[in-house]
Amino acid sequence: MPYIPSADDLEVITREVWSSFLDGDPAGLVAVGGDMPTDKITGCVHLTGAYTGSIMLQCSPPAARYAAAALFSIAAEDVTESEVVDAIGEIANMVGGNVKSMLPGPSALSLPSVVQGSLSVPGAQVMREVQLAWHAQPLFVSLWQQAS
Amino acid sequence: MRILIVDDSRAMRLIVARTLRLAGYDEHELVEATDGREALDVVADEPPDIVLCDWNMPRMSGLELLTALRTAGSRIPFGFVTSEASPQMRAAALQAGAMFLIAKPFTAEDFQDALDWVLA
Repeated sequence: MPYIPSADDLEVITREVWSSFLDGDPAGLVAVGGDMPTDKITGCVHLTGAYTGSIMLQCSPPAARYAAAALFSIAAEDVTESEVVDAIGEIANMVGGNVKSMLPGPSALSLPSVVQGSLSVPGAQVMREVQLAWHAQPLFVSLWQQAS
Repeated sequence: MRILIVDDSRAMRLIVARTLRLAGYDEHELVEATDGREALDVVADEPPDIVLCDWNMPRMSGLELLTALRTAGSRIPFGFVTSEASPQMRAAALQAGAMFLIAKPFTAEDFQDALDWVLA
């Protein structure tokens, strides 16, 4: 049975991305759940091949702005919509690329897509999810697998 | 020296530039391209001394860029800076002629380990 990264793996990878590029404070990300607003920002990359599925990062609009502000080194109130899309897409790409390295291969990683709201992948089911909070804002990371 | 940073994410191009400064390479000229095709134009215009390139990009991927450069006879030192760093990806990168592969997320020390032989 091939190894499927655990929720702890998702959390470790997300924390590495955060501590490297977004928040040097390891306590910045808190492992607590919370309600995800319907106007959430979703970043997603798809895998196709030996493992077919998706890695999604979802966060509240304020968390997305904070993330873009951190990556672009600007104030959160100065962040533009295109900077949010760029930042959330790149974070999803980094998390997804690292998760992909733990999954059975070979498979291809898509370019990231970013939407406001939910992103539905027909036929896919969630395999793992970690619910975190950053600046008291919800941030969820999940691994999906396409039904074969 | 002239360093070409190729990534479709503006945030990542900024982070790579910031990390180069943190690694001590702040006296070099930085130029940017948003995908492989644009990078080919930059190289044709004025060849850089090294290329730091994302793997997965629209229009032309990093691997396609590297293959095009090597096919055209270019020996510019080339390294990947990518979120995908499985042994298979590293092997494919080296086989295509890359000098190194830096995995995202990275540190200034990762850059020094990969780049000191060219830039220090």
